[in-house]
Amino acid sequence: MISIHNLYFSYHGVPPYILENLNLEIGDGEYISVVGDNGSGKSTLIRLLLQFTKPTRGSIDSRAHRTGYVSQKNDYTNFGFPITVLEVLDSYRHLLKLKEKAIIWNALEQMGMTAYAHALMGTLSGGQSQKILIARALIGDPDLLVLDEPSTGVDVESQKEIYSFLKKINQERGMTIISVEHNLGAAITNSTLIYHMSGGHGHLCTPDQYAAELLKKGIGAHYAFL
Amino acid sequence: MLSYDFMRNAVMISVMISILCPCIGIFLVLRRYSMIGDTLSHASLAGVAIGLLTGQNPILGAFLFTSLCGALIEFLRNYFRKYTDLILSIVLSLSVGTAITLISSGKLHANADAFLFGSILTVTVSDMIMVLILSVISVLILIFLYHQMLYIAYDEEAAKIAGVKVRLINYVFSILVASAISVSIRIVGVLVLSSMIALPVAAALQMEKGFKVTLIWSVLFSMTDIMLGLFFSYYLNVAPGGFTALISVAVLMIVLLIKRIRQKLAASRIFREEMFPKA
Repeated sequence: MISIHNLYFSYHGVPPYILENLNLEIGDGEYISVVGDNGSGKSTLIRLLLQFTKPTRGSIDSRAHRTGYVSQKNDYTNFGFPITVLEVLDSYRHLLKLKEKAIIWNALEQMGMTAYAHALMGTLSGGQSQKILIARALIGDPDLLVLDEPSTGVDVESQKEIYSFLKKINQERGMTIISVEHNLGAAITNSTLIYHMSGGHGHLCTPDQYAAELLKKGIGAHYAFL
Repeated sequence: MLSYDFMRNAVMISVMISILCPCIGIFLVLRRYSMIGDTLSHASLAGVAIGLLTGQNPILGAFLFTSLCGALIEFLRNYFRKYTDLILSIVLSLSVGTAITLISSGKLHANADAFLFGSILTVTVSDMIMVLILSVISVLILIFLYHQMLYIAYDEEAAKIAGVKVRLINYVFSILVASAISVSIRIVGVLVLSSMIALPVAAALQMEKGFKVTLIWSVLFSMTDIMLGLFFSYYLNVAPGGFTALISVAVLMIVLLIKRIRQKLAASRIFREEMFPKA
């Protein structure tokens, strides 16, 4: 699905690099969690993947036919935006040039949010609005779903629902998922692979290997079995 | 008052203004760009001056020059990402500087004052035709790009993911802003034009509805503001621009007041129901 070769990135094209010599192959149907400390380059990697910005050197190729994206929920600036759930989804459907309106009801139903169709986005809780944004990302049946910290600002109950839904669409529909995670417990239980980033470098490991790494550092007991 | 030709022309142009300005204004306000409307309306004065200097239609002059300034703002945004207000100062200096230089030179073929304060008496047939053409084209483009513009305002990243050409549409949008301004300067005047762009939207936002309903409310408020402004300015014999601006402030105040009263009433009803539950 994704091939990354010798990827370098810095904002002005000169060292120090934010990402340095990344190589990564993501197969179809993987659920890969990208973990690492703040400033390790996770979000930059996602921005490159979504082509919001261009690599300084190297290449990042996506073979996805359609990409769904759930951005990090820090959109307080948009809190007062006068828009209903239905408008958020329906305009997005128009952007994708999809004709059938049933698509959006289907997306709402998958997230169990049909009852909120006419609600204003600003009146929803963190968990509810995250579910709407996931529903939007599912419009047009993407084969790649990219999420940036899907559990930030989301209540525990909704987190559980969201993660079990992600696992389901990954396993049942074979949707490739790339998720930047702070929630290490979710990363270990949900993903098929973990990409651990630190200081602009990254290495791929299995969830078990990652859990063992955490245990060795002595922070696993807190996170791994949430 | 509608028995006069000039009044009929003014009413027709006002209807165009009251549709176009809030439709553009809602995107400017929601993107926190209200001051761009103000800057560009001042910039249009330079276009008017150029039009009057060269003997061309001043509204066409305003449209072309304001479009250019709109594009300049978009272009400069790449250089001053975090300082949008600085860009506005640059464009204001350029345009108002041009306007003052040209007007004070005494070489204009007509008086530019009518464009500063707005006027109903001076609307010409060629103005009417320009306004009509610009309004129809702008409304058609707005309808065509509705979903794209909504998404750029609401969630630019999602718009990009969905394949919207954000930069191109931003340029088209700045031309639409120029168009709305050029349509409005005759009646409303350069100085208070931003009131037509921002205030009806500010009142409509108080309704706390979805986007389309807010847009409809904006147009209704805008129509109320400008028609009352026109009516009173005719009978009081004052410039319509100034009075329309005053009415738009008054309407906003009334909306805020009604909202406040309704909130109080709702709160006291809940209080009563809790204190004295019905048996």
